[in-house]
Amino acid sequence: MYKLILSGVCFLIMASGFSQASEMAEIEGGTYIPLYGNDSLPVSVENFKIDKYPVTNKEYLKFVVENPKWKKSEVKALFADGRYLNHWKNDTELKSDELENAPVTNVSWFAARAYCKWKGKRLPTLDEWEYVAMADKETADARKKDGYNEFILSWYERPKSFHQEIGSTYENYWGVYDMHGMVWEWTADFNSVIISGETRRDENQDNNLFCGSAAIGSSDLMNYAAFMRYAFRSSVKGNYSIRNLGFRCAQDTNEEENSANEAL
Amino acid sequence: MKLYKLMFLSILLLGTSCKNNENKSEKSEPVAQAEAEPLPEMSVFQLPSSWTTQEGEDIQLEELRGEVLVMVMIYTSCQAACPRLVADMRNIQKKVSEEANKETKYVFVSIDPEVDTPERLKTFAKENEMDNDQWLFLRGDLEDTREFAAVLAVNYKRISPMDFSHSNIISVFDKDGVLVHQKEGLGTDDTQTIEAVEQHVID
Amino acid sequence: MAILNLKFKSTTITFLLSSLIIVFTSCKNDDEKTKDPEDVKVSQTMNAELTAPPMVPKPTGRRKAKKLVVDMEVIEEESEMTDGVKYVYWTFDGTVPGSFIRTKVGDEVEFHLKNHPDNKLPHNIDLHAVNGPGGGAESSFVAPGHEVVFSFKVLNPGLYVYHCATAPVGMHIANGMYGLILVEPEEGLSEVDREYYIMQGDFYTKGEFGEPGLQPFDMKKAIDEDADYVVFNGKVGAMTGDNALTAEVGETVRLYVGNGGPNLVSSFHVIGEIFDKVYVEGGDLVNENVQTTLIPAGGAAIVEFKIETPGEYILVDHSIFRAFNKGALAQLKAEGKENKKVFSGKIEEGIYQPEGGGIQEMPVDEEELAASRPSEKPGLEEKMELGKNIYGRTCVACHQANGQGIPQVFPPLAGADYLNEDVKRAIDIVLHGKSGEITVNGNTYNSVMTAQNISDQEVANVLTYIYNNWGNNGTEVTEEMVKAQRRN
Repeated sequence: MYKLILSGVCFLIMASGFSQASEMAEIEGGTYIPLYGNDSLPVSVENFKIDKYPVTNKEYLKFVVENPKWKKSEVKALFADGRYLNHWKNDTELKSDELENAPVTNVSWFAARAYCKWKGKRLPTLDEWEYVAMADKETADARKKDGYNEFILSWYERPKSFHQEIGSTYENYWGVYDMHGMVWEWTADFNSVIISGETRRDENQDNNLFCGSAAIGSSDLMNYAAFMRYAFRSSVKGNYSIRNLGFRCAQDTNEEENSANEAL
Repeated sequence: MKLYKLMFLSILLLGTSCKNNENKSEKSEPVAQAEAEPLPEMSVFQLPSSWTTQEGEDIQLEELRGEVLVMVMIYTSCQAACPRLVADMRNIQKKVSEEANKETKYVFVSIDPEVDTPERLKTFAKENEMDNDQWLFLRGDLEDTREFAAVLAVNYKRISPMDFSHSNIISVFDKDGVLVHQKEGLGTDDTQTIEAVEQHVID
Repeated sequence: MAILNLKFKSTTITFLLSSLIIVFTSCKNDDEKTKDPEDVKVSQTMNAELTAPPMVPKPTGRRKAKKLVVDMEVIEEESEMTDGVKYVYWTFDGTVPGSFIRTKVGDEVEFHLKNHPDNKLPHNIDLHAVNGPGGGAESSFVAPGHEVVFSFKVLNPGLYVYHCATAPVGMHIANGMYGLILVEPEEGLSEVDREYYIMQGDFYTKGEFGEPGLQPFDMKKAIDEDADYVVFNGKVGAMTGDNALTAEVGETVRLYVGNGGPNLVSSFHVIGEIFDKVYVEGGDLVNENVQTTLIPAGGAAIVEFKIETPGEYILVDHSIFRAFNKGALAQLKAEGKENKKVFSGKIEEGIYQPEGGGIQEMPVDEEELAASRPSEKPGLEEKMELGKNIYGRTCVACHQANGQGIPQVFPPLAGADYLNEDVKRAIDIVLHGKSGEITVNGNTYNSVMTAQNISDQEVANVLTYIYNNWGNNGTEVTEEMVKAQRRN
């Protein structure tokens, strides 16, 4: 009898967790060779959890309501530039042609970070994000497959892809959606990318702008698709709010979601 | 042509001398009042992070309000560019007028807080003969350091257990912590950096 | 005719304007004539007139150098490559090539580059007319929804390409991110009747030439330099039919021709015309009576010709399959009176019997490559090798690649008296650091070198490397010598 109740409770918890937004996928750690790294040495990634979907307008709205300092009208310029939530009509309403379940964009890195903190989570590190993003539908590392790169490249050429509901692209090997084909996503250490915007110079070892750059190089220059992602990251600053840039949160495996939603 | 320059200069001088006077009269008022003014939105002092100095004291960035800050992010075990960033900072400090230096602090923020303990920062300061009030060495936790770098648009990445790759940027903040100037690259012309310091000491 | 009228008007206005400026500036005019473009003072600010291809802004005429504000926006947008074929172009100002920028030597260009908020990618601009690292690429790197401002002074007259240089550069160029900037000499270019702006580019699509639908960029083809489209002004037929360029008999036409690439070199030719003048590669050198001029990828040329007879002139890349199978073709229609003296048209047609012909074979030259040298590494050389590595790691940042140091900040090692005088002192400095004033080759330095945390062996190697390079005295430093200088 007792057991039965317990399992019933479990079932309830699972069901309530089914609102797709708060779902996270368990990612089994491992090593991978990033596009940019230390002499193409493998980087290891621990086990962690990551949101299955990017954070939506609807979810972000809840955050803003509970944390007024992140309202469009209240936010400090140091933390978010003038385009912050530009596609929202006001502090609490979307513009009429925007979708509630589309990924929230026009959010700064500071804002994305605060959101994840409020959820008891954190932003994924660049390595974590890239690790999950290597996957296609069937394999954990699909980077050498033609179709994988083509999908990403074709997204670069598709205008207004931010105007889609989450889950519209493929579910990858880890059960995570929309890593490619929807929006760019913030990572915790987005500013660890050392590209000056002058690619031709970045390949030159005598670089005055960055210390120790000789050890930084691209492990696969032919991987245009990823190359552009790094270029994008290197063009942004923490308070930039960009139409094609959203985020999702991550968490260490041993931590549970903070249901209390600690206020900030 | 020279005449033009002279005229321009004298206008500038006129302008600044007026300002100077105003400033003096303001100075006599209690400092507390100035600090009571709300921080500008773009002030770096909006960051809630706290930091430890080379003397082992904990400080909030806001405690630095009221001085012009020249800031750079380095790590002490760096052998490539950091000695040159240190030299650049030293040169700027040398070239800024004595008067202006009274209201200016030169701040090094470590991007490697795990290795750069206060003791280590202190040793570094001594080695580089920067062990006085003019120079400040700070370390914070990993998260706050990343955040601070985001504000400065400094990018960095650990590339080996000992080494980081990082942007070489020297930033100047006005007395309210608003970023007013950045100089990128090593050994590049520092005239504008010095001008920025001088100007914002007066403002 | 309408165009002519307009042109007349605008030149009068320019003239009036420039005479006004002359009046205003005459007082300080005297010493400016002989100056370096670098020292040319700019008198006023004006917004640059930017034109979409094939049009060109009006000449700078006799105007003085100015502060010229250039406003450009990067737009990623879908457009038509040819009938039924769509392509997503990345553009400067919404056209391929981007807007034509017309400047004059000495102009101070204040460049505003905006990246449209809906764009996905960061972009930048490298202008070949800029004297400075990256041609502005680094200063102009801009994220979507942002704007950067940078400025430069144009010093060298000529016609220059600009293009996006963001990673991956090839793809940004292949998608259409290029254009031309003209720097006119102080006295301006000579007056002509018509001016047009043409730029060649090669495109790489998933589908073959003409395959309908939205065609994505094909990276592999681009790398293989296997172009599907080679076109003038971004698409097939940009200047044919109703869009053909026009001129009248008796007029002199000047074409500003650029080649964006990314890969192919253009053999630019106008069928039925001989270029009276070619500003070779867009520079000062003028060649006359040219049939075909070569325009490298990332290069340009100015060509001029007078139209003697009416009819249709075809502009092509004379790598001729590109013209007829890939799109590199444009038309110039000239109206006016026939001139039989210059061109008769067909007089008669007959039968021609060839006598036969052989196929010539080119002799094949065989080239031999030199064999790689055997390498030997005696003790000193090995030390030098190791020392070089250490130097590259720990010394080069301050003392520089060839030991030249940095004036006023870091003393030189190359041919340095201070170094060569006293090897013990040199070892001591590496081991224990040095501060305070020193004099090297007559110059004083006052900086701080911290103690280097490297082994005795490494100190010996790096100093040996330094002493045996750059005109130094060839001392070989041993581990023992270093050990002797260690303080305990």
